[in-house]
Amino acid sequence: MIEDDIAAAMVEHEQEAPTADDLLTGLRAQRHRHGWWYAAAAALLVIGVLSGAWAVTTDKPAAAPLSCPTKYAGKAPWVPTAPKGIPGNSRLVPNEMPRTAVVCSYDGMNSGKSPSHWGLAAKRRITENLGGLVDELAWQPRVVPGQQFSCLAVLGRQTNYLVGLTYSHGRTIWVSTTAGVSRCVTGTNGRFDTPPDSAVGDVSKALKSGRWPEPAPVGCDARWGRLGQDKTMVPAGSISLTICGTRAYPIKADYRELTTELNTLDTQAWLGVCAKHEPGTNYRLVFSYAVGPPAVVNLSSACQPPVYNGGTESDNSGNVIPIIRHLLGRH
Amino acid sequence: MEVDEALGSLVAESGDRLLRVAYQLTHERAAAQDLVQEAILRVYGSIRRRHRSPDDLYAYLRRAVLNEFLRTRRLRSSTELVTDSMPDAAVVASDDAVLDRAVLWDRLAELSERQRAVLVLRHYEQLTDPEIAEVLGCRQSTVRSLAMRGIAALRSAAVLEEDRE
Repeated sequence: MIEDDIAAAMVEHEQEAPTADDLLTGLRAQRHRHGWWYAAAAALLVIGVLSGAWAVTTDKPAAAPLSCPTKYAGKAPWVPTAPKGIPGNSRLVPNEMPRTAVVCSYDGMNSGKSPSHWGLAAKRRITENLGGLVDELAWQPRVVPGQQFSCLAVLGRQTNYLVGLTYSHGRTIWVSTTAGVSRCVTGTNGRFDTPPDSAVGDVSKALKSGRWPEPAPVGCDARWGRLGQDKTMVPAGSISLTICGTRAYPIKADYRELTTELNTLDTQAWLGVCAKHEPGTNYRLVFSYAVGPPAVVNLSSACQPPVYNGGTESDNSGNVIPIIRHLLGRH
Repeated sequence: MEVDEALGSLVAESGDRLLRVAYQLTHERAAAQDLVQEAILRVYGSIRRRHRSPDDLYAYLRRAVLNEFLRTRRLRSSTELVTDSMPDAAVVASDDAVLDRAVLWDRLAELSERQRAVLVLRHYEQLTDPEIAEVLGCRQSTVRSLAMRGIAALRSAAVLEEDRE
């Protein structure tokens, strides 16, 4: 629907907006432009933006985090409540700083008898690097309807995590993600579903330390994908490309021709099925961004479809392979 | 100092969000920054005079950004291409018309300021039509009409784009 495309186009370009640091620079310049009260206001706002922790230094009471449910009361993926005050259908979490964050974990076996109502095993409030939490979770990809995943039909232990976030004006959101041997359980906020294992490693580390971990360096083993890849091969805004074949080739040359060619291929939703398996030439293109996970595109002459990114696929690789070879030749 | 604390806290918490909303409206970094700066400074002056801050300061500031956007665009309207009316050609794109996202972003910038404001509030800030009507100070029927015309203009642009290829 066009409304989805409008929302997606807006989200894709939001990183181009100026930031509070830019605002600060502008406010400093404004101080000499107007009368005394403008100077006072601008000075105040400079202080406010610089401090960042203004709310902590006042007498205003700290915001309370969400409480972990005593039981994970449904079959995974499950969240205690739908997003409150947040539509929640365009991304996993809002692209804004939460006021509080809490992680809850629930352990059990993924076999039949008791898939739900596991008791709370651990909980921790996340107080450091909330910006990193937003950078990762806000850019998680969306599950395509009908999409299949490479699950393992293995019985074993499973840990269900809940991440509870609060925002200004009473808005809240819960995110469920699961770690387990089968790697079959999607993540969700109740309205937006994301593939299995979404950020689960970082959720587990945050539970242990109270700090959201720094992002791992982007390499050829990057897990796909990124928000927007259900509609576009390579979402706008990438800052670097690594071509992975027999080894990793960081590309220094201008690769816009490659992204343009990829984004003009005829595509349809990727359902996760490779219809033939033969030896062939394989490339893995890893596009990194200023924030959030990378976008990964696979090219495989041994697969039908030959081009896929975990959200969309194309039956025809067009001029992509020659462009890749040209980029590698200039490497 | 309560007003100063509230405003400073909001800028620290929501400055980035206000700037992103302003960028969705203007599609220009410098213009977005100017909009938010002017809105913040106007709001600060207003609430200092009244000696109290509104309950929902973010919504109040967002409204100030929208008002500043509509005010400055009206001053420039003699040089702008206003697409507030349906195109002359009887072009009706189907719901299945494929819309290139890059083209869509460019075409959003060419809508009238009120159509663009409605679509940003609806699809980026994800407000309901009654909330949008309150922000813009108009009736809900006006919001629906602006949204419908804006989307129709975007669909028509998509069809014209396909015809050119």
